[in-house]
Amino acid sequence: MEKQNQQGMVEVVADKTWKFFSAVKLAVVLLIILAVVSVIGTVIQQNQAPEDYLKEYSLATIQLFEALGFFDLYHTWWFVLLLLLLTANLTICTLERFPFAWKAMRAPLKSLEDDGFKAVPFKKEIMVKGGMEAAETAALKVLHGKRYSHQLTKEQGATHLASQKGAYSRMGVYVTHLSIILIFVGALTGAFFGFKGFLNLPEGEASSVVYLRNEPLWDQIMAGFGISKSPVIHDPRGGVPAMPLGFFVRTDDFEVDYYANAGRPTGMPSEYWSILSVYDLQQHKVLEKRIRVNDPLSHHGITFYQSSYGTIPNAVGKIVLNVTQKNSPGPGETVVVEPGSSVYVKSIDRTIKAAGIAPFGMRDPATGQVQYYQARNEELVNPTVELEVYRGKSLAYRTQVMKVDSSEPSMPENYRISYIDYWGARYTGLQVTKDPGVWIVYTGFILLCIGPLIAFFGSHRKLWLRIQDRKGQAAVLVGGSSNRNRLAFEREFNSIVEAIAK
Amino acid sequence: MESAQLFNFATVAYLVAMVCYISYLAFRSEGLGKVATYVTCAGLVLQTIALAMRWIESYQMGIGRVPLSNLYESLVFFTWSTVLIYLFVEWRYKTRAFGAFVMPVAFLALAFINFAGISTDISPLVPALKSNWLFYHVLISFLGYAAFAVAFAVSMIFLLIDMEDRGPVRDLGIGLGALAALAIIGYAMAAAGERMKLVFWMGLGVLILAWFLYLVMRGAKNKPQVYLFWSCCVTLAIGLMVAMGFDIIYLNLTHSLKPGDSMKQHLFEASFLSKSLVNVFIAWGLIAGLFWFIWSKGMSLKKHLVQYVPSQDVLDDATYRMIAIGWPLLTGGIITGAVWANSAWGTYWGWDPKETWSLITWFVYAIYLHSRYVRGWKGTQMAVISAVGFLAVIFTYLGVNLVLSGLHSYGGMN
Repeated sequence: MEKQNQQGMVEVVADKTWKFFSAVKLAVVLLIILAVVSVIGTVIQQNQAPEDYLKEYSLATIQLFEALGFFDLYHTWWFVLLLLLLTANLTICTLERFPFAWKAMRAPLKSLEDDGFKAVPFKKEIMVKGGMEAAETAALKVLHGKRYSHQLTKEQGATHLASQKGAYSRMGVYVTHLSIILIFVGALTGAFFGFKGFLNLPEGEASSVVYLRNEPLWDQIMAGFGISKSPVIHDPRGGVPAMPLGFFVRTDDFEVDYYANAGRPTGMPSEYWSILSVYDLQQHKVLEKRIRVNDPLSHHGITFYQSSYGTIPNAVGKIVLNVTQKNSPGPGETVVVEPGSSVYVKSIDRTIKAAGIAPFGMRDPATGQVQYYQARNEELVNPTVELEVYRGKSLAYRTQVMKVDSSEPSMPENYRISYIDYWGARYTGLQVTKDPGVWIVYTGFILLCIGPLIAFFGSHRKLWLRIQDRKGQAAVLVGGSSNRNRLAFEREFNSIVEAIAK
Repeated sequence: MESAQLFNFATVAYLVAMVCYISYLAFRSEGLGKVATYVTCAGLVLQTIALAMRWIESYQMGIGRVPLSNLYESLVFFTWSTVLIYLFVEWRYKTRAFGAFVMPVAFLALAFINFAGISTDISPLVPALKSNWLFYHVLISFLGYAAFAVAFAVSMIFLLIDMEDRGPVRDLGIGLGALAALAIIGYAMAAAGERMKLVFWMGLGVLILAWFLYLVMRGAKNKPQVYLFWSCCVTLAIGLMVAMGFDIIYLNLTHSLKPGDSMKQHLFEASFLSKSLVNVFIAWGLIAGLFWFIWSKGMSLKKHLVQYVPSQDVLDDATYRMIAIGWPLLTGGIITGAVWANSAWGTYWGWDPKETWSLITWFVYAIYLHSRYVRGWKGTQMAVISAVGFLAVIFTYLGVNLVLSGLHSYGGMN
């Protein structure tokens, strides 16, 4: 007796919990709460440095916000809990209603009795000339034309036609709900097993680690319980933790293209790109790709995105020049020289000294003189090299070569020196992510595009016809119902009735 | 012929259509109604060609980009999609009653852009925007915004028809008093420093949210409050549009728009955010006057309108249909944005204010779509939610840059 009672209690609680989670009202309440608290995170800037917050709020406010998690609101346990509740609500709502919807979709067509005709929302009786056969043919033709499937039964001198279309539309809601559950699961998968990091890699250098913004939750949990060691390398002095890649990535080259105005570069970048190479741990080259913004490189589930760039302070790069004979079509000789030093070029028997390099030089179109401009952040907008060419030990002439030139630089002798690159003075800024959940999220995205279309633009429409003989004419009683979009169905219903009557 | 000329023709067409739709309502002449529809179609065709030509022109200039990426282009595209969706509604519901409300919006938006000569330069794109996703993302989002705009217009008509009387003058007094008090408090607090400015905006936000919640929960029982809300929405819609128009004219007269600056960075500098205190007072005074005018004339408008607009059921259904079109489009806009962000930065969702606000908008319309399954939430509440949703749309589009970035002493607009 007592045991039975207890079971009853458990059942009641389970039942109540189930009812609580299956209510649409809970969904609406959760959506309202989510909408309202999301606003907070847009008003208070997220994840800023403490000194930035101090500029804006008093210390007491900062402590309060910190305690409430307002500075990283969307990752606080209570916000995630809200999302979790919404997902639970969606799942249970779906489980609760799906079997009925499935049944309604798969239910066989049944002819309608007189009582049934009383209950349908749309109903009309018409007389069709030419007897029952003609009425039946006309009705079938109209129904077929409107893409209704039908079932025909004859009993007691009456012909019953039951027809329907758009039964699949009952699934639209569930596809939509499933898609949101998938997106949530995918996002969790990414948080547990993926990471986000960055890497500023100078030209010519390689790295086998990236620096983490957030560590995979799974590794943290496993390490926390002492089950397995996290692969993440923590700097004992409190630096940014590093994640080993299991391979090397190297920046072979980095370039920025600038928008040109009348053939002269402006300071506005139009595109920047890096050539990255991947080497395995045995230092064999595995692959190479030129990446740019919107076009990343992927290897072993880890993706490198072109994100930023910069000049390495006080770094001395290498100037790469090309020397070709004016009368021979060959590829010429590539010359590498550091700023301030000289190099002997065998093919022309001259010594070239790079006296200096400026980040932004341009030729005045009127005079042909080179002028130098201030470049933002020491960017190499149009690198210009001051060259001194020596015949033996005596200076033959001075000239300048640059990346984009509006005219030929003066080269009095029988060869041409051209600028190729200034290499090794810049780094490429890479975003590095691993997100094994992204494909689950994308599947959710696709379903989320399809689901609402099915739900909103389809409707399960049913029509019942009863054809009876009445003094040589056919009396056709038409009834119809639609689970959604009644106004549109009413129009279709009327047009079908009219068409049969003709 | 250049795209700019075609845009002018389209503007004229919308002007003619607007006059026809309004006279159709006034004189109930079917002929005028038909003319209105034909002229609107012609305007839409012209505008479509103009958009296509602008795209081609950008290629001829060697920049080659989709005409959807600055304020000028997005406003043009917004009018285009609004007119397109309006024509769909007209065809679907066989009523021309909404034309008199939608076409003035389309015309005014285009007229301000065209006649004020807002910077129409085709400027180059920063590398992150160079993606095919840009086109789909902006296209889908704006079609969604346009559907929501039409839904908003229909809900506004619904709410007006739904009202029995405008309630005691006391309500208006409260409304105007609150507006004046807010203006003064806001000014005082902004002058008292950044922190107080933030407190002011946060407080205002909480008040507005509380009011919305009250209206959604109890709106059907307190119609005068809903009427006050209706007046606020209409004032806001008209006020925003006119204020933006003034900005465009002002910026062009003073040539204070530097190359590379976007219009969005200078919004409302001619009115509410003007450096001259006189201008600010005039702007707020005009808004208060507009509010008073709308509140006091609304009921006579209702008496006139009732004869032309379809029944409340049809209006309710039309709102639902529009949101059923807009919501999947908004979803598509968010998804294309997420996929694009993932291909550019490796993060499909970063909770930045713009993203978050688009999600908030998405939540609000999701509430709308589910609210008909909640007992007791009918017509009035649904229309209020639809209106709140559109306010969220406006905030996503303008407010995020304008209000939120203005709130912070650090962190610029870029």
